[in-house]
Amino acid sequence: MEITVKQLNQTSVVSMMGSMDALTADEVTRFLSAQIGTGQKQIVADLSQVDFVSSAGLRAILAALKESRQQGGDLRIAAAQPGVEKILKMSGFTSILKDYPTVDEAVTSFGS
Amino acid sequence: MSNKHQMTRAAELESLPVFRDLIDAACKHHPGIDEQIRYDLKLAVEEACTNIIAHGYADMNPGSIILTLELEPQQVVMTITDFGHPFEPSEPPAPDVAAGLDDRPTGGFGLFFIYQTMDEVGYDTTEDGNRLTLIKRLPSAEEE
Repeated sequence: MEITVKQLNQTSVVSMMGSMDALTADEVTRFLSAQIGTGQKQIVADLSQVDFVSSAGLRAILAALKESRQQGGDLRIAAAQPGVEKILKMSGFTSILKDYPTVDEAVTSFGS
Repeated sequence: MSNKHQMTRAAELESLPVFRDLIDAACKHHPGIDEQIRYDLKLAVEEACTNIIAHGYADMNPGSIILTLELEPQQVVMTITDFGHPFEPSEPPAPDVAAGLDDRPTGGFGLFFIYQTMDEVGYDTTEDGNRLTLIKRLPSAEEE
Protein backbone atom coordinates (compact mmCIF):
# COMPACT_ATOMS: atom_id res chain seq x y z
CA MET A 1 0.00 0.00 0.00
CA GLU A 2 1.37 3.35 -1.04
CA ILE A 3 -0.23 6.46 0.41
CA THR A 4 0.40 10.05 -0.67
CA VAL A 5 -1.21 13.25 0.48
CA LYS A 6 -1.58 16.69 -1.03
CA GLN A 7 -3.19 19.80 0.32
CA LEU A 8 -5.82 21.63 -1.68
CA ASN A 9 -6.88 24.70 0.30
CA GLN A 10 -8.18 23.35 3.60
CA THR A 11 -8.61 19.81 2.32
CA SER A 12 -6.16 16.89 2.42
CA VAL A 13 -6.43 14.61 -0.58
CA VAL A 14 -5.14 11.23 0.54
CA SER A 15 -4.43 8.97 -2.42
CA MET A 16 -4.05 5.28 -1.74
CA MET A 17 -2.60 2.79 -4.18
CA GLY A 18 -3.09 -0.97 -4.00
CA SER A 19 -5.40 -3.03 -1.82
CA MET A 20 -7.05 -2.09 1.46
CA ASP A 21 -7.25 -5.48 3.12
CA ALA A 22 -6.56 -7.02 6.52
CA LEU A 23 -2.84 -6.77 5.77
CA THR A 24 -2.82 -3.03 5.01
CA ALA A 25 -5.81 -1.66 6.96
CA ASP A 26 -3.77 -0.75 10.05
CA GLU A 27 -1.38 1.29 7.92
CA VAL A 28 -4.33 3.19 6.41
CA THR A 29 -5.84 3.78 9.86
CA ARG A 30 -2.53 5.07 11.25
CA PHE A 31 -1.97 7.36 8.26
CA LEU A 32 -5.44 8.89 8.34
CA SER A 33 -5.39 9.23 12.11
CA ALA A 34 -2.04 11.05 11.92
CA GLN A 35 -3.49 13.41 9.31
CA ILE A 36 -6.51 14.18 11.45
CA GLY A 37 -4.24 14.52 14.50
CA THR A 38 -2.34 17.35 12.81
CA GLY A 39 -5.57 19.28 12.34
CA GLN A 40 -6.33 18.12 8.77
CA LYS A 41 -9.92 17.22 9.45
CA GLN A 42 -11.29 17.71 5.92
CA ILE A 43 -10.18 14.62 4.07
CA VAL A 44 -10.83 13.30 0.60
CA ALA A 45 -9.91 9.62 0.29
CA ASP A 46 -8.91 9.21 -3.35
CA LEU A 47 -9.61 5.55 -4.16
CA SER A 48 -8.98 5.79 -7.90
CA GLN A 49 -5.96 3.49 -7.61
CA VAL A 50 -7.39 1.12 -5.02
CA ASP A 51 -8.32 -2.12 -6.75
CA PHE A 52 -9.61 -4.02 -3.73
CA VAL A 53 -11.25 -3.15 -0.40
CA SER A 54 -12.34 -5.80 2.11
CA SER A 55 -14.19 -5.44 5.41
CA ALA A 56 -10.89 -4.56 7.10
CA GLY A 57 -10.41 -1.70 4.63
CA LEU A 58 -13.94 -0.48 5.29
CA ARG A 59 -13.27 -0.49 9.02
CA ALA A 60 -10.23 1.73 8.42
CA ILE A 61 -12.39 4.18 6.44
CA LEU A 62 -15.11 4.08 9.12
CA ALA A 63 -12.60 4.76 11.91
CA ALA A 64 -11.21 7.79 10.06
CA LEU A 65 -14.70 9.04 9.22
CA LYS A 66 -15.64 8.89 12.87
CA GLU A 67 -12.45 10.60 13.99
CA SER A 68 -12.72 13.41 11.44
CA ARG A 69 -16.34 14.10 12.36
CA GLN A 70 -15.46 14.17 16.05
CA GLN A 71 -13.05 16.99 15.16
CA GLY A 72 -15.76 18.84 13.28
CA GLY A 73 -14.54 17.76 9.84
CA ASP A 74 -15.46 15.00 7.43
CA LEU A 75 -14.00 12.26 5.26
CA ARG A 76 -15.34 11.96 1.74
CA ILE A 77 -14.69 9.25 -0.80
CA ALA A 78 -13.66 9.99 -4.37
CA ALA A 79 -13.28 7.98 -7.58
CA ALA A 80 -13.95 4.50 -6.21
CA GLN A 81 -13.58 1.77 -8.84
CA PRO A 82 -16.76 -0.23 -9.66
CA GLY A 83 -15.91 -3.24 -7.44
CA VAL A 84 -15.09 -1.00 -4.49
CA GLU A 85 -18.17 1.13 -5.11
CA LYS A 86 -20.30 -2.02 -4.98
CA ILE A 87 -19.11 -2.99 -1.51
CA LEU A 88 -19.49 0.58 -0.25
CA LYS A 89 -23.15 0.31 -1.30
CA MET A 90 -23.60 -3.27 -0.08
CA SER A 91 -22.35 -2.36 3.38
CA GLY A 92 -24.51 0.74 3.65
CA PHE A 93 -21.50 3.08 3.70
CA THR A 94 -22.95 5.24 0.95
CA SER A 95 -25.78 6.21 3.29
CA ILE A 96 -23.45 7.56 5.96
CA LEU A 97 -20.64 9.09 3.95
CA LYS A 98 -20.39 11.25 0.86
CA ASP A 99 -19.06 9.55 -2.21
CA TYR A 100 -18.07 11.47 -5.37
CA PRO A 101 -17.12 10.26 -8.86
CA THR A 102 -14.02 12.48 -9.00
CA VAL A 103 -11.46 13.97 -6.62
CA ASP A 104 -12.27 17.48 -7.89
CA GLU A 105 -15.95 17.10 -7.03
CA ALA A 106 -15.10 15.77 -3.57
CA VAL A 107 -12.70 18.67 -2.90
CA THR A 108 -15.21 21.23 -4.19
CA SER A 109 -17.92 19.75 -1.95
CA PHE A 110 -16.05 21.08 1.09
CA GLY A 111 -16.69 24.55 -0.28
CA SER A 112 -13.06 25.55 -0.21
CA MET B 1 -14.86 -29.28 -18.44
CA SER B 2 -13.37 -28.28 -15.13
CA ASN B 3 -10.31 -26.26 -14.42
CA LYS B 4 -8.86 -26.89 -10.97
CA HIS B 5 -6.30 -24.87 -9.04
CA GLN B 6 -4.97 -25.41 -5.55
CA MET B 7 -2.65 -23.47 -3.26
CA THR B 8 -1.48 -24.03 0.30
CA ARG B 9 -0.15 -21.09 2.32
CA ALA B 10 0.59 -20.28 5.94
CA ALA B 11 -2.35 -18.88 7.86
CA GLU B 12 -0.99 -15.34 8.01
CA LEU B 13 -2.13 -12.01 6.61
CA GLU B 14 0.73 -11.99 4.09
CA SER B 15 -0.99 -14.91 2.33
CA LEU B 16 -4.11 -12.86 1.52
CA PRO B 17 -2.75 -11.07 -1.58
CA VAL B 18 -1.22 -14.34 -2.79
CA PHE B 19 -4.64 -16.03 -2.73
CA ARG B 20 -6.13 -13.05 -4.58
CA ASP B 21 -3.43 -13.30 -7.23
CA LEU B 22 -4.27 -16.98 -7.72
CA ILE B 23 -7.94 -16.13 -8.24
CA ASP B 24 -7.06 -13.38 -10.72
CA ALA B 25 -4.70 -15.61 -12.67
CA ALA B 26 -7.06 -18.59 -12.72
CA CYS B 27 -10.14 -16.60 -13.76
CA LYS B 28 -8.57 -14.28 -16.27
CA HIS B 29 -9.40 -16.35 -19.33
CA HIS B 30 -12.71 -17.83 -18.21
CA PRO B 31 -15.33 -16.30 -20.52
CA GLY B 32 -18.11 -16.27 -17.89
CA ILE B 33 -16.13 -14.48 -15.19
CA ASP B 34 -16.05 -10.72 -15.44
CA GLU B 35 -14.20 -8.30 -13.20
CA GLN B 36 -17.11 -7.97 -10.77
CA ILE B 37 -17.41 -11.72 -10.26
CA ARG B 38 -13.67 -11.92 -9.73
CA TYR B 39 -13.98 -9.22 -7.07
CA ASP B 40 -16.74 -11.21 -5.34
CA LEU B 41 -14.59 -14.36 -5.34
CA LYS B 42 -11.60 -12.51 -3.94
CA LEU B 43 -13.71 -10.76 -1.31
CA ALA B 44 -15.28 -13.99 -0.04
CA VAL B 45 -11.90 -15.74 0.16
CA GLU B 46 -10.30 -12.76 1.87
CA GLU B 47 -13.04 -12.57 4.51
CA ALA B 48 -13.01 -16.32 5.15
CA CYS B 49 -9.21 -16.46 5.44
CA THR B 50 -9.10 -13.41 7.70
CA ASN B 51 -11.53 -15.17 10.04
CA ILE B 52 -9.42 -18.34 10.01
CA ILE B 53 -6.25 -16.36 10.77
CA ALA B 54 -7.88 -14.31 13.55
CA HIS B 55 -10.16 -16.93 15.12
CA GLY B 56 -9.54 -20.39 13.66
CA TYR B 57 -5.92 -20.49 14.70
CA ALA B 58 -6.37 -18.32 17.82
CA ASP B 59 -4.36 -19.61 20.80
CA MET B 60 -2.54 -22.19 18.75
CA ASN B 61 0.40 -22.34 16.38
CA PRO B 62 -0.71 -20.97 13.04
CA GLY B 63 -1.11 -23.76 10.54
CA SER B 64 -1.98 -23.66 6.91
CA ILE B 65 -4.87 -22.70 4.68
CA ILE B 66 -5.58 -24.64 1.50
CA LEU B 67 -7.53 -22.84 -1.21
CA THR B 68 -9.01 -24.90 -4.01
CA LEU B 69 -10.65 -23.29 -6.98
CA GLU B 70 -12.72 -25.23 -9.52
CA LEU B 71 -13.85 -23.31 -12.55
CA GLU B 72 -16.81 -24.89 -14.24
CA PRO B 73 -18.84 -23.48 -17.12
CA GLN B 74 -21.81 -22.61 -14.88
CA GLN B 75 -20.20 -21.97 -11.52
CA VAL B 76 -17.03 -21.49 -9.51
CA VAL B 77 -16.56 -23.78 -6.52
CA MET B 78 -14.01 -22.68 -3.94
CA THR B 79 -13.04 -24.67 -0.87
CA ILE B 80 -10.98 -23.31 1.97
CA THR B 81 -9.52 -25.87 4.37
CA ASP B 82 -7.87 -25.15 7.71
CA PHE B 83 -6.86 -27.18 10.73
CA GLY B 84 -7.70 -24.76 13.52
CA HIS B 85 -10.72 -24.40 15.75
CA PRO B 86 -13.92 -25.17 13.84
CA PHE B 87 -16.16 -22.23 13.19
CA GLU B 88 -19.40 -22.89 11.39
CA PRO B 89 -20.57 -19.70 9.70
CA SER B 90 -24.17 -18.59 9.59
CA GLU B 91 -25.70 -15.73 7.74
CA PRO B 92 -25.54 -12.62 9.92
CA PRO B 93 -27.97 -9.72 9.80
CA ALA B 94 -26.83 -6.69 7.82
CA PRO B 95 -24.39 -4.72 9.96
CA ASP B 96 -25.69 -1.39 11.17
CA VAL B 97 -23.04 0.87 9.79
CA ALA B 98 -24.57 4.04 11.23
CA ALA B 99 -24.48 2.54 14.73
CA GLY B 100 -20.82 1.73 14.16
CA LEU B 101 -20.22 5.41 13.59
CA ASP B 102 -21.20 6.21 17.14
CA ASP B 103 -20.22 3.72 19.74
CA ARG B 104 -20.67 0.21 18.47
CA PRO B 105 -17.70 -1.88 17.40
CA THR B 106 -17.22 -1.67 13.65
CA GLY B 107 -17.00 -5.39 12.93
CA GLY B 108 -19.55 -7.72 11.41
CA PHE B 109 -18.96 -7.14 7.71
CA GLY B 110 -16.85 -10.20 6.92
CA LEU B 111 -19.50 -12.92 7.09
CA PHE B 112 -22.07 -10.51 5.69
CA PHE B 113 -19.93 -10.05 2.56
CA ILE B 114 -19.43 -13.80 2.15
CA TYR B 115 -23.18 -14.42 2.18
CA GLN B 116 -23.91 -11.39 -0.01
CA THR B 117 -21.46 -12.38 -2.73
CA MET B 118 -21.77 -16.20 -2.79
CA ASP B 119 -24.75 -18.29 -3.89
CA GLU B 120 -24.01 -21.20 -1.56
CA VAL B 121 -21.99 -21.45 1.62
CA GLY B 122 -21.28 -24.87 3.16
CA TYR B 123 -19.15 -26.05 6.03
CA ASP B 124 -17.99 -29.36 7.41
CA THR B 125 -15.46 -30.49 9.96
CA THR B 126 -13.76 -33.86 9.75
CA GLU B 127 -10.46 -35.31 10.90
CA ASP B 128 -9.07 -33.91 7.66
CA GLY B 129 -9.77 -30.36 8.75
CA ASN B 130 -12.47 -27.72 8.53
CA ARG B 131 -13.73 -27.14 5.04
CA LEU B 132 -15.67 -24.09 3.91
CA THR B 133 -17.26 -24.45 0.48
CA LEU B 134 -18.20 -21.31 -1.43
CA ILE B 135 -20.13 -21.52 -4.68
CA LYS B 136 -20.65 -18.66 -7.10
CA ARG B 137 -22.96 -19.30 -10.03
CA LEU B 138 -22.09 -17.69 -13.31
CA PRO B 139 -24.54 -15.91 -15.57
CA SER B 140 -25.66 -18.33 -18.25
CA ALA B 141 -25.00 -17.68 -21.91
CA GLU B 142 -28.68 -16.72 -22.49
CA GLU B 143 -28.56 -14.03 -19.82
CA GLU B 144 -25.43 -12.41 -21.19
